[in-house]
Amino acid sequence: MAARLTTRAFTGLRPSLRMQAPLSLGLRSMASVASTPSEEPQPKTKIFHIYRWNPDEPASKPRMQTYTLDLNKTGPMMLDALIRIKNEVDPTLTFRRSCREGICGSCAMNIDGVNTLACLCRIPTDTTKETKIYPLPHTYVVKDIVPDLTQFYKQYKSIKPYLQHSTPAPNGKEYLQSKEERKKLDGLYECILCACCSTSCPSYWWNSEEYLGPAVLLQSYRWLADSRDEKKEERKAALDNSMSLYRCHTILNCSRTCPKGLNPGLAIAEIKKEMAF
Amino acid sequence: MASIVRPAVLRQTCLATASKRTFSTKLSASFPAINKPATSVLSRPAVRNAFVKDALPSAVRVAAFHASGRQAILPPLPQVIDGTANDAAPVPPPSPSHGSYHWTFERLISAGLIPLTIAPFAAGSLNPTTDAILCAAILIHSHIGFESIVIDYIPTKRLPKTRVLFWWGLRLATVVVGVGLYEFETNDVGVTEAIKRIWHA
Repeated sequence: MAARLTTRAFTGLRPSLRMQAPLSLGLRSMASVASTPSEEPQPKTKIFHIYRWNPDEPASKPRMQTYTLDLNKTGPMMLDALIRIKNEVDPTLTFRRSCREGICGSCAMNIDGVNTLACLCRIPTDTTKETKIYPLPHTYVVKDIVPDLTQFYKQYKSIKPYLQHSTPAPNGKEYLQSKEERKKLDGLYECILCACCSTSCPSYWWNSEEYLGPAVLLQSYRWLADSRDEKKEERKAALDNSMSLYRCHTILNCSRTCPKGLNPGLAIAEIKKEMAF
Repeated sequence: MASIVRPAVLRQTCLATASKRTFSTKLSASFPAINKPATSVLSRPAVRNAFVKDALPSAVRVAAFHASGRQAILPPLPQVIDGTANDAAPVPPPSPSHGSYHWTFERLISAGLIPLTIAPFAAGSLNPTTDAILCAAILIHSHIGFESIVIDYIPTKRLPKTRVLFWWGLRLATVVVGVGLYEFETNDVGVTEAIKRIWHA
């Protein structure tokens, strides 16, 4: 049934593919025959279970759909597998992706129980283990593995993520910074706001309406630590309530999951220390 | 992790696995979408030998059991967006007594508990004053801890009355424990001595 659906989607949505497919397949088999006529590599089939939910059918429940790929014909990363499934198996599979090199943060998803970027996550070569892909946990799902990050972006906006400086620069040109002052921003400015850390934080799961979450607090500290910013007290006052900052209970899922290797937990601890004394 | 936080999804997966292998009639009637064979090469026929049921791993059955209940406590509501998607999230008014002062006080109490706990045993002597300070610190420490649990799990917006109920319930409990500790300290042997006796019993 599902296979027939897929075929129909294939033929219905992209008629051009029907024309191209036999041609490209023929080319590939010819090429492989030409290069290695005798030894065809052993196929390494791996099973992927992917979360599916279609907003056009709101009455049907989310389900896990199974795909099987030969890893010999797939790129090394999870995103390669997803793109290959979308191109060759099931064009209805929906996910976000853009840069495919871990700088845009679009392909954040939960792979084998860990929030990470699909483009930075290698496919485990152990083919006996089946891979499960879910959207980011505790998010509203737009479709399949696409989460709704509206609240996350609204919270990011609420911390005023820009330089606030009212006095003119002494040299009349730009605000200068010493090397030591600049060094304080290392490990903070690299954050790409993929929301992996925030959606891995249990505190954020329970209180995402009021608690800002690790990613936004890391950005908050990025502006608190900036020597050029002149609104430190206002920034601190905005966090000085029971919900915005202090729902962090140092669970440290954030630091563990960050696909960029940053440490939001440390940044939050620094904010707490700055505000304490 | 995802399966824990998404009981609904876990339930789907477990039921799908179970229904694929075993007693399919009832399940396939109630979950027609799940029982469709997936696009996978490995998709099995829906109806199979009833004896296969015994081969179902117990872990899967246990997970299916635990995930099959409906989440009755605070099920997620439909998404609501305050204002437009481009508005910033509201910033609450500053209140240091619930924010930074509260945190500092909490940390001082927590840090203070370490020497207070070790001191009477290290010194080997029992001092009623240290005992009283230890009791008070433990009482405040646990009150703040439980307060944190109430704030975390009983959101004011959704359950305002339950929040107030738990708030006063916690305060009452703290007072009762405080009175109990006072009685224990004044009319009985005191906390440190009690622990010592239990330890050597």
